[in-house]
Amino acid sequence: MRKISVYIILSVLILASCGRGVQNPVSGSDAAIFPDYRNITVPVNIAPANFMILDTAGKYITLLESGDVKVKVTGKKVVIPIRKWRKLTSQGNITVNIFEKKGKGWIRMNSFGINVADEIDPYLTYRVIPPLFESYQRLTINQRDITTFSEKVVYANSMVSHGTQTQCINCHSFKNWHTDNMQFHIRQYLGGTIMYTNGKLEKLNMKTDSTISAAVYPSWHPTHDYIAYSTNMTFQNIHTNHTNRIEVFDDESDLILYNLSDKAVSIIENDSTQFECYPSWAPDGKTLFYVSAYTGNPSDFKKAGGAAAANANATFKYSLYSKRFNPENRTWSPKQMFYDAAAVDSSVTWPRVSPDGRWLLCCISTHGVFPPNQEVSDLIMFDLEKGTRRYVDEINSNKSESYHSWASNGKWVVISSRREDGVHTRLYLSHLNEDGTFTKPFLLPQKDPEFSHKFMYSFNIPEFTVEPVKVSARMLASFIKSTDAKQVNYESKREE
Amino acid sequence: MNQRKENKIPDLLSKARWILPVLLWVALILFSKDYLMKVEERSYFEFDLFWLSEYLCKPSGVLSLFGLFLTQFLHIPWVGALIWVLLLTASAELTRIVFRIPAHLSVLAYLPASIFVAYNLSMGYIVYVMNLPGYFFLPVLGCLWALLTIKVFRKSRKPVISLLLALFWGFAGYYIAGFYALAGIAAACIDIILSDHSRICRIMTLTGAVAVIILAPILFVGTTTYNISNGWTIGMPEQIYELSQSRMQIPLIPAFLLLIIAPFSKHLSRISGTRVLSLIQGVSLAAAIAIPSIFWFRDDNFKAELGMIRSADNLEWDKAISILEQVQSRHEDDPAWEPTRVMVVLKDLALIKTGREGQRIFDFEDGDKEQKRSWNLPMSFQIGRILHLNYGIPGLCNRWLIEETVFFGSNYQTYKYHAMNAILLNDTQFALKYLDKLEHTLFYRKWAREQRKLCIDRSLVAKTAPYDMILPLMCYDDQVCSDFQGCEFFLLEHFNGPRPDNATPLYDRVALFFAMKNKQSTLFWTRFFLYLDSNNPKKIDRYYQEAAYLFSQNNKELMEAIPYDDQVKTLYNSFVQNAAKTGKMNHEEARQNFAVNLRHTYFYYYYYVNELVMF
Repeated sequence: MRKISVYIILSVLILASCGRGVQNPVSGSDAAIFPDYRNITVPVNIAPANFMILDTAGKYITLLESGDVKVKVTGKKVVIPIRKWRKLTSQGNITVNIFEKKGKGWIRMNSFGINVADEIDPYLTYRVIPPLFESYQRLTINQRDITTFSEKVVYANSMVSHGTQTQCINCHSFKNWHTDNMQFHIRQYLGGTIMYTNGKLEKLNMKTDSTISAAVYPSWHPTHDYIAYSTNMTFQNIHTNHTNRIEVFDDESDLILYNLSDKAVSIIENDSTQFECYPSWAPDGKTLFYVSAYTGNPSDFKKAGGAAAANANATFKYSLYSKRFNPENRTWSPKQMFYDAAAVDSSVTWPRVSPDGRWLLCCISTHGVFPPNQEVSDLIMFDLEKGTRRYVDEINSNKSESYHSWASNGKWVVISSRREDGVHTRLYLSHLNEDGTFTKPFLLPQKDPEFSHKFMYSFNIPEFTVEPVKVSARMLASFIKSTDAKQVNYESKREE
Repeated sequence: MNQRKENKIPDLLSKARWILPVLLWVALILFSKDYLMKVEERSYFEFDLFWLSEYLCKPSGVLSLFGLFLTQFLHIPWVGALIWVLLLTASAELTRIVFRIPAHLSVLAYLPASIFVAYNLSMGYIVYVMNLPGYFFLPVLGCLWALLTIKVFRKSRKPVISLLLALFWGFAGYYIAGFYALAGIAAACIDIILSDHSRICRIMTLTGAVAVIILAPILFVGTTTYNISNGWTIGMPEQIYELSQSRMQIPLIPAFLLLIIAPFSKHLSRISGTRVLSLIQGVSLAAAIAIPSIFWFRDDNFKAELGMIRSADNLEWDKAISILEQVQSRHEDDPAWEPTRVMVVLKDLALIKTGREGQRIFDFEDGDKEQKRSWNLPMSFQIGRILHLNYGIPGLCNRWLIEETVFFGSNYQTYKYHAMNAILLNDTQFALKYLDKLEHTLFYRKWAREQRKLCIDRSLVAKTAPYDMILPLMCYDDQVCSDFQGCEFFLLEHFNGPRPDNATPLYDRVALFFAMKNKQSTLFWTRFFLYLDSNNPKKIDRYYQEAAYLFSQNNKELMEAIPYDDQVKTLYNSFVQNAAKTGKMNHEEARQNFAVNLRHTYFYYYYYVNELVMF
């Protein structure tokens, strides 16, 4: 009984001392936090924006307030229970107050806000890959439910690999943000393009005698059963002494159209003096955007061979083109220059049109076709209605910004950025405002706020979907192991 | 009294078993210290929940974690070896106790442990590619788990409890120990079948065990990204790199087969007769010693390579040279001996680092002795990181670090080199990512804290080793390239390429060294005069003089312009005189003739060290 009394008195004293400190805190400066969630805008349905206080203090209390909902979290790691977070976001914008105990007193750090905006597609599918370079022994395509912290493997190459018999898996893609139509490629061991269409799995060999390679970068046609692809002969070389570290370049590239009904590919563009890449449909399915670089006669630089050729390829500058398409009879009009990036000594890649057809977001850098490894790579956005363009400075950083995707409602984009350490690609979300500006991008929340710092893999090719992938990883592995790739046919191009 | 006398020899042999661990421990310290340290260097254990959790969610991950935890103590070889030897002894003694092997046959219990020793010490170059976390301790830990399983299964004599125990222990065991748990269940099952447990109890145990052996891999591996066909062997090395799964697994199978048939050992008590017992004990003792001895990977060059690599990693360049000197002197009378390219290029680097390449380079044998292995292992996977970092090519260093990590998993050295590489490139955030990790380790945290200071105060970098001798080599313009896995060839091309506008004295010295090795007189003269201009040496080093003297034979001006040592002139004259004597010999005979007195000259290198395979 005596012991219990002592505990009660001690507890009261401790609580009182905390309360007294927090009641009369001294004003402080901005708390250092990671990830930087200060004054960001989040989707109403996003997982809790957990963060870590980087300041050194004796104790930490974080108060999150929204409307009449208050949530108190103690400790350096601010991990917000998901139910409480839901209550907060349902009330609207959130105010965050951090208190740090230094010495005997408490310091109230500058408060900041978390704005709450439109919903976002709940699923994000991405590749988890060791950063940089050629080996691909450990690769997975994962799907994250971004309204929670749940993540599942869509497919992992380790499920079928043996020793040096390994696979590269890449370019997963969905039609119209739904998972009934999904595809990705497997290179090398048991290779082929895996096509999942309305419950049916196929493995296809998309390389024909008339095309330069198997299919690579895809874009599903929004209304018909077509997929536009680039075909690329891709190589990698290493920077001897630069933080860009690696250069990925093409030795050849063209564009093809795959017709799912006929199981046939046809050429879209294969100009012998140009390298075409990154096809991307406008939402009406009547215009195809893509990028292309003038290369002159490819045999000229190929003669140089090895590093010299690589250095030459690395200087190619890609401009933005468009091409009209009639989906009913699959005829193409001549290409049109949309933005001559090469003329301003730049290279533009990865065009992606917003779902409403108003905005076209691209990567822009100094050279080449593969921006993730280029520190100078930024995002540039075209207003297709007004015909203007601008660098998206509110998103760009001094490190690489690369692969980006629009959410189905056009209100959110996910971007791949290496701003954290220059090497590991992380995913950031940003909200598109009515005026065409973006809110401050924020790191995709993780349960453990230290995750991003400790995780030694990169994420890339983030693609939103409104529903989870419908085929299990084991089923895919079993199918891939047991099925030979079916050869697709080749058919001639149809011009208008 | 007679019985005691009769058992004297077997009992004596039984006591002799205690010598086995001592012998092993001493042998490990004497002969395999570098190997043990290499095992540790290529492993990784971090005191961090985030890192631990990656293992805890995998079948057999718990045992791997224990293995990794213990492997870190090989950093101090005598400590790590002692732990391993004690665990092996414990496994042998527990085998004896669990299977009630009579004292006068006790050495039999040491046979599985001796197979584990043979397995680990037979690896040789496999140490570079082994990607199973904690593999060094896994077999012995797995054996202990299997023995524990047998003990636990024996406890239950009630049928339902036996079934539940088999299922619970089996599934939990599979999660903890993977293959070793399945082996333990199989052994325990046989043990129960042969025991005096009731029939129904035996049937229940058997039913539970069979269910676990069939279902556990499907249920557990089915939920992971492992290849399901590896489910039954998870925890054992899979096919790695170019080594087949059978090469990695079959040597371990006999040890576990012995455990599975061990329950039959209760019949051993029926064996009697001094001669028979002595014979069994004697053969067992001999086998326990012979098995590891036969399979122990012994190769002087491999050992020297390991020592030199470790010295290079620790920036102990003199030590690296001294290791090569020692191995070379041991083989002085062996004309067939030659160093591997790894030894040669590390020696070159060590000499450059100590500024003695011009004085000592040809004091050492050159060569391209094949490494003692039958499978492909690029030099880049062995020392690519060391060469590229120290010769100022951080891009390629980074490339091989990533490739190594992807193929064989993370290890202390790759993290260390990642951090150093990033510090060189002034990529502070990237460096800190790796330093943060190393600060959570037991033996590398001190190093990481020292490096952190360089991230905070960048001005210290240029004054601190190894950066002080790397930054001056990074004076060239960045270019896009590939080494096509040939790091030595790449370095030769790199330093024999156009001279950078901002070339430093160190760059000129290294470029002269590579030009001399390249044997092209025009390139040599260009580099030689640039070296003289930028380094302004008080005295030109002997071997640079020899090269210059050789290349100036047809150029009187050059001959007179350079103050050659008399020793250089004398040696050259000897060489010329010898050439007259050997005129009628074929190339190989002449080479052998020159090798007697003139092998340590540039002249010999120029004419007779040819066609070496570079990597």
